[in-house]
Amino acid sequence: MPCFSRVDVVDIRVDSKGLACPMPVIKLKKALTQNPEQKSVFLLALTDEGGLKDIPAFCQQQKLDWVLLQETPFIEFKVWRMS
Amino acid sequence: MNEGGEKMSESLNDASLSEQLSIIHTKGTLDWAYPVFILASTAAAMDKKVELFFTFYGLNCLLKDTSGLKVSPLGNPGMVMKSPVGPDWLKRVDWNKALPGLVWTLPGAAKLATWGFKKQMLLEGQVPVEELRALCIELGVSMTACQMTIDLMGYQQSDFIEPISFSGAATYFANTPKTQSLFI
Repeated sequence: MPCFSRVDVVDIRVDSKGLACPMPVIKLKKALTQNPEQKSVFLLALTDEGGLKDIPAFCQQQKLDWVLLQETPFIEFKVWRMS
Repeated sequence: MNEGGEKMSESLNDASLSEQLSIIHTKGTLDWAYPVFILASTAAAMDKKVELFFTFYGLNCLLKDTSGLKVSPLGNPGMVMKSPVGPDWLKRVDWNKALPGLVWTLPGAAKLATWGFKKQMLLEGQVPVEELRALCIELGVSMTACQMTIDLMGYQQSDFIEPISFSGAATYFANTPKTQSLFI
């Protein structure tokens, strides 16, 4: 039987591949501002390795939860608002 | 207001002060413009109240026409100048160390260095400085141009981007945090 529990949650993709500091943080911030719903989930893709430290630091300061999904071939974070 | 109320408002004020960033920018070259706009946009993205004050040559960073923002290795020994094009061995050479300083006095040297710097920045994933500046404004960064130096250098208010404000040092200090970050 199919599970519909997440049917109303659409992951918002934020692509900042190929862009250096500060663009990944700024693109994530813009996506957060444009999608103020509590349930929004963001998938942030980046290639700037500085983001491995900067994105978690930004999330901590902005009260966001995050998980690092992958580091290759590009870095990907899943980010959502703390409940 | 009773004593408790005063204490509370004071602590609230302190908390909001820690969420502020203020930079006084006096430099008119492209390599100095980037760090200011990078730090300002990041701080604004992190919900800090950001105030930038541009004075003397720093006014170049607020002009509609950014063609005056250049970079030169002349008198700039810290600058790393590598070719953004060519084979790998060529790209590894730091021309600011490999060539005598006298070379950078030749006609066209600043133009060449500026072209190389811009190209290198784009290759490294940076956005053009005009775009970064527009992002700062979009994120709510306040920018103030020093009226005294505008007059001194013969600029008109219409030479500058919008929206920025024009005022003197006293207005700026009255509106910014108790501690200042100074970019010399």
